[in-house]
Amino acid sequence: MSDKPLLPEQEQPESCALSRRDFLKLSAATAGTAALLGSLPTFGQLLARGESPSGNSPLSKPERQIHTVCLQCNTGCAIKVKIWEGVASKIEGNPYSPWTLHPHLPYTTPIAETGSVEGALCPKGQAGLQTAYDPYRIVSVLKRRPGTKRGEGQWVTISFEQALDEIVNGGDLFGEGPVEGFKDVYALRDAKVAKAMADFVKRIVDEKDAEKKRALVEEFKTTFAADLDKLIDPDHPDLGPKNNQFAFIWGRLKNGRGDLVQRFVKGGLGSINANGHTTVCQGSLYFAGKAMSEQWDGSKFSGGQKFYWQADLKSSRFVIFVGANMFEANYGPPLRVTPLTEGAVDRGLRYAVVDPRFSKVASKAWKWLPIKPGEDSALGLGMMRWMFENDRINKRFLSAANKAAANAIGETSWTDSVWLVHIKNGKPGKLVRGSELGLVTRQTETDKDGKEVTVYVTEDGTKFKFDPFVAMVEGVPTPVDPNSTELPVYGDLFVDTTLQNAKGETITVKSGLQIIRESAFEKTIEEYAAIADIKPSDIIELAREFTSYGTQAAIDIHRGASQHTNGFYTSFIFFTLNALIGNFDHKGGMSKPTTYDRLGSRAKGPFELAKMNNGANVPFGLDILRTTISYEKSTIFNGYPAKRPWFPLATDIYQEDLPSIGDAYPYPVKIAMFYMSAINYALPAAHKMTEVLADPKKLPLIITSDILVGETSMYADYIFPDLSYLERWEFHGTHPSVTYKVESVRNPAISLPGWPMVKVYGQEIPLSFEALVLGIAERLDLPGFGPNGLGEGVPFIYPEDFYLRMVANLAYGEKEDGSDGVPEADDREVEIFLKARAHLPKQVFDPERWKAIVGDEKLWRQTIYVMNRGGRWQGEGKDYKGNMLANAYAKQINLYQEKTATTINSMTGEPFAGYPRYLPPHLSSIGEPIEDGDEYPFTLITYKEITMTKARTITNYWLLSVMPENSLLMNAVDAQRLGLRNGDLVRVSSASNPRGVWDLQNGSELAMVGKLKVTQAIRPGVVAFGLGWGHWASGSRDIVIDGRTIKGDVRRQAGFHANAAMRTDPVLQNVTLTDLAGGSAVFYSTKVKVEKA
Amino acid sequence: MTEQEKLTPQSTASEGVSRREFLGALAVAGAVAAFEQLAANPQAVLAAYEEQIVQGTLAQSSADLKALDVLERMRIELLRALQKPVGERRWVMVIDLRKCIGCHACTIGCVAENKLPPGVVYRPVIEEEFGTYPNVARRFIPRPCMQCENPPCVPVCPVRATYTNAEGIVEMDYERCIGCRYCLTACPYSARVSDFGFTYTEEIPVIQGLLGTQTADDYERAPNFEYGKEYARQGRNSPVGNARKCHFCQHRILEGVLPACVTTCIGRATFFGDANDPDSLVAELIASPNVLRLREELGTEPRVYYLK
Repeated sequence: MSDKPLLPEQEQPESCALSRRDFLKLSAATAGTAALLGSLPTFGQLLARGESPSGNSPLSKPERQIHTVCLQCNTGCAIKVKIWEGVASKIEGNPYSPWTLHPHLPYTTPIAETGSVEGALCPKGQAGLQTAYDPYRIVSVLKRRPGTKRGEGQWVTISFEQALDEIVNGGDLFGEGPVEGFKDVYALRDAKVAKAMADFVKRIVDEKDAEKKRALVEEFKTTFAADLDKLIDPDHPDLGPKNNQFAFIWGRLKNGRGDLVQRFVKGGLGSINANGHTTVCQGSLYFAGKAMSEQWDGSKFSGGQKFYWQADLKSSRFVIFVGANMFEANYGPPLRVTPLTEGAVDRGLRYAVVDPRFSKVASKAWKWLPIKPGEDSALGLGMMRWMFENDRINKRFLSAANKAAANAIGETSWTDSVWLVHIKNGKPGKLVRGSELGLVTRQTETDKDGKEVTVYVTEDGTKFKFDPFVAMVEGVPTPVDPNSTELPVYGDLFVDTTLQNAKGETITVKSGLQIIRESAFEKTIEEYAAIADIKPSDIIELAREFTSYGTQAAIDIHRGASQHTNGFYTSFIFFTLNALIGNFDHKGGMSKPTTYDRLGSRAKGPFELAKMNNGANVPFGLDILRTTISYEKSTIFNGYPAKRPWFPLATDIYQEDLPSIGDAYPYPVKIAMFYMSAINYALPAAHKMTEVLADPKKLPLIITSDILVGETSMYADYIFPDLSYLERWEFHGTHPSVTYKVESVRNPAISLPGWPMVKVYGQEIPLSFEALVLGIAERLDLPGFGPNGLGEGVPFIYPEDFYLRMVANLAYGEKEDGSDGVPEADDREVEIFLKARAHLPKQVFDPERWKAIVGDEKLWRQTIYVMNRGGRWQGEGKDYKGNMLANAYAKQINLYQEKTATTINSMTGEPFAGYPRYLPPHLSSIGEPIEDGDEYPFTLITYKEITMTKARTITNYWLLSVMPENSLLMNAVDAQRLGLRNGDLVRVSSASNPRGVWDLQNGSELAMVGKLKVTQAIRPGVVAFGLGWGHWASGSRDIVIDGRTIKGDVRRQAGFHANAAMRTDPVLQNVTLTDLAGGSAVFYSTKVKVEKA
Repeated sequence: MTEQEKLTPQSTASEGVSRREFLGALAVAGAVAAFEQLAANPQAVLAAYEEQIVQGTLAQSSADLKALDVLERMRIELLRALQKPVGERRWVMVIDLRKCIGCHACTIGCVAENKLPPGVVYRPVIEEEFGTYPNVARRFIPRPCMQCENPPCVPVCPVRATYTNAEGIVEMDYERCIGCRYCLTACPYSARVSDFGFTYTEEIPVIQGLLGTQTADDYERAPNFEYGKEYARQGRNSPVGNARKCHFCQHRILEGVLPACVTTCIGRATFFGDANDPDSLVAELIASPNVLRLREELGTEPRVYYLK
């Protein structure tokens, strides 16, 4: 029962002093019917008198609006929160941002003029109030009640200070024996020793000879004899210090807080384990992008960006979406919806959708291709084959072998497609170097500083700083410097020949493009069509259309293509198709993300935050995901297959965190901290994560930072309450499809009445993730925090000490002289800034303190200018230079990847392929096909409804009112065959979860039973469910706090969640299937049984 | 300092760019520059439009408005319409079904704007599926109040609590409404609902350690501003117990803000404006060959048009 009367206002005594709200209500009543429309003066008349027709829409005044950023999903739309007496009352799109208005308002539009200008926002964005004002939000630190098991839902409230003391000092915290605290794990505290150890470990791992490696380990042990107790295992120093036994694992983390996490985990606690969640989203897409963007630095390929490209939809004329659900998810709404709907209706844009489900975006498409799940690459290679056969490739673009060549033909980016590759035993391997063919000779010379350097010189005296690559130019091998701006090389596209090397041996070489062509020609179009179960004519039609719009066509892919065991190669294939038409950096082609620098690095100020970190610790060693050191180089190498896979081409392998901790491979973890993570809900086969979470022997201490008792938090030992996205700071960044240079500033729009304030370093700040970090830092005296955290006398105590400086950096711009800074806020803008924040408590907003942080009056006014607009946005029209993108990628695109081709798969011992190729989906970790038999006839896929963002929107009742529960979608043909009817309750099970249940490891199970929705809008043989329902925490079930039961809300239990049906790897058993190249967790290929429940 | 910054209301007449210069920019400068100014300063725009109306050069700049987001074009047209006497403007809504993606942002945006309780929805979106695999279609139909010229809901009201106002919006007078629900039954579009006084969070407990409803229902109890008044949800006070319906967000319209369902439409499928203004976007759209209205045969003459 409610502790609060149902309608408390009724019982309020008349004598109560009038609140402002009551007063206003009274005045409104007195004004009475005079406010009826007919008697109102016209807007124009009012305006002439300098009045606004007040009372109609007071929230449209700029003083009642704070511009910030949504986090209801990761699109990160800029928003403005309308505030009524301190309460967030309505949320709108921020019209300054290209997310919600197309084109967006000019940046210099005075804030006073935009109160009534609103951008568009999706339903989740609108419902964000219910995330902030969720009655199940926690406001005290919760500790697992000693004597109860993890997941039992028994909590005690505990003071912030005591909770910090317990997690820092450890002890017998739960009556289960001693638990190590942060003070124990924070073993190596001397940054100098850490640096010396890190350098030595690099020598050890780089040593290829096994015996010498062992000798180096012994030498290490002698050298660091005094500090060996600080290592996880002195016999394996490459595992790093004990500090690595703290793992920080995040779900949704954005910059700002991301920078804080790096500072805390790495620079502070000295742990290498700051692990993200990328592979649950679209890891293989990101890491295909990374491999394609590695640049030659003169000695190696490095610096590849973890990113990907998307289409510049607003100028595209034809787009193919593969596994991209643009109207419901995928950073589509509202950002990418308008260019599509208006494009299709008003601008003649054609688009096709490749998806087994007839999604909302498919419903408006020119063509829907209901492909067999996981076989997107067959479509891609079929298109590629047709393009080669019919000569529909951009030869001009592809022939440019380096920067000089690209620039001379008006391109900004180039590929390596004409570079020569060694073919050994029929397999492509390393790139050919000039010296091998005698094109250059190695010489030493003295540079201007008197230093001896190696150069490579051709017969005609051309010098290269490294052994150049080689392209065939009209049949003549020619050296290539990829980054040369002076020596353009245009190579022959298709080369398949033998050459004499300098030693007189015959070598076989092919151009990268030849290798790609042969890969595409491995099967006929009919064979590809059969694999993907589409028509050959579909492949040809898409290929013809794709090659009919010059560079204003694009293939835009998302997680549907990426979350398979072949995800890396599927992504690689589609990006290669884009390269074949040469649409990179072109208006309407492929675009990359571009942001302003919040860290002050480019301008070297005003606050160079990366450098404002004296005495930062130096983390080193192997991370628990095995991404920082390659298997072969590590001292724990023990043949193939490895005990668990290693990921030399990817990072942030979310599905590997807990199974690795459970297996103590490569080493045990003592403390894990989860941030905004629902790891055992969001992942495929997520129930396996719960097995580790529930077991204190495998993971002795779990701390979470959360706004409620969520699916992961319920297994925590301590939950620290966090602020919602409307109460905190972050920098949301951008997406590849945004052609403008941008950065958005999430900043406190509200503070909940009575929100607890806690003391860190003697000052009061809101109980929050920052408070948790600062509280630990204070107790351990971590570098980078406290009174001298940002340098001598420069404190890091308040969150804004860190974040406001980032805003100031955005405001200042990226030129050292400040010449590209934003305008200064005038007095009216300052007034609006202050009035809009008048409701915030001093611990959150203190103008004097804030101004002191920024310092300079001019910079303070510039900072206000950015805050007033919720970020910095490049102006409309500034994103194009002629027909090219102004914020261009402008670098090399690797279509043949030497680095990938020379990287070994730790499970098979074979190298990865360095070129786009067909791989079947749904393979085990040792590369074997998984056959689950006829008992499991359906392929299970997932998708998003626009009303749900995985774990975190079930709390939004407005969204539930639109769609209270999800269903299992099944084609009518299949339903009829099984005798199932619309609305039947059905159970989903699989070979690795034959009972079809979530074992919550607390004595209860949750059946994977949901309602069937019989539809024509899905491919037969495929069943699908929308993610986000089927919760067992997040306020959906009873919990006990301090002995009192808090009833769960049944509305939050609605629907079902079938991720636990997803296939576990048959070799590893405790983790989902994984793409070992790109790291993706597999969502879309499990075979399941559907039966009446 | 840029052109826009000079264009503060105070400066339009005396310093910086004059109104006439501003008009000049509209007429002769490149589209982008003019639009930046348009968007930058609605009051200057409004002033400029006054002059354009006088000079009869309006059509010319209307063409230029097409480079703006339709939301901005409609907002500027709204400001223009607000200049006219009340009786001379005719608000209509146009919904382009080809652009509606079934996102329900309008449904929720409306709920948030008008603080609608559980069970009260002014603007549902109906989802339909047609065809047989693989020849399938999905259709999404937003259904606000049609603001009929001949509204069947009005004559049935025993207390005259509902009526058509001077601009064609069918209004509710919450103070008069007795909650008899005759109008709910009379509406052929099911556009009216009763407010039973629920809140979304009322059953949820307050307890040590959790936020609880004391704070959590603040946003639900914050006032809406329907009909230009301030209706906080308090006790049994109106609008609890009343019939409720879409009113084209007229409290926003009068402030120069488009209806909530319009500004939040991520597909740009919903249009609003003065059909009496021949240069307005809505006037253009309702002249499309693919225009239709729901249940024309009833003779209700809806002011909501659909494009198919």
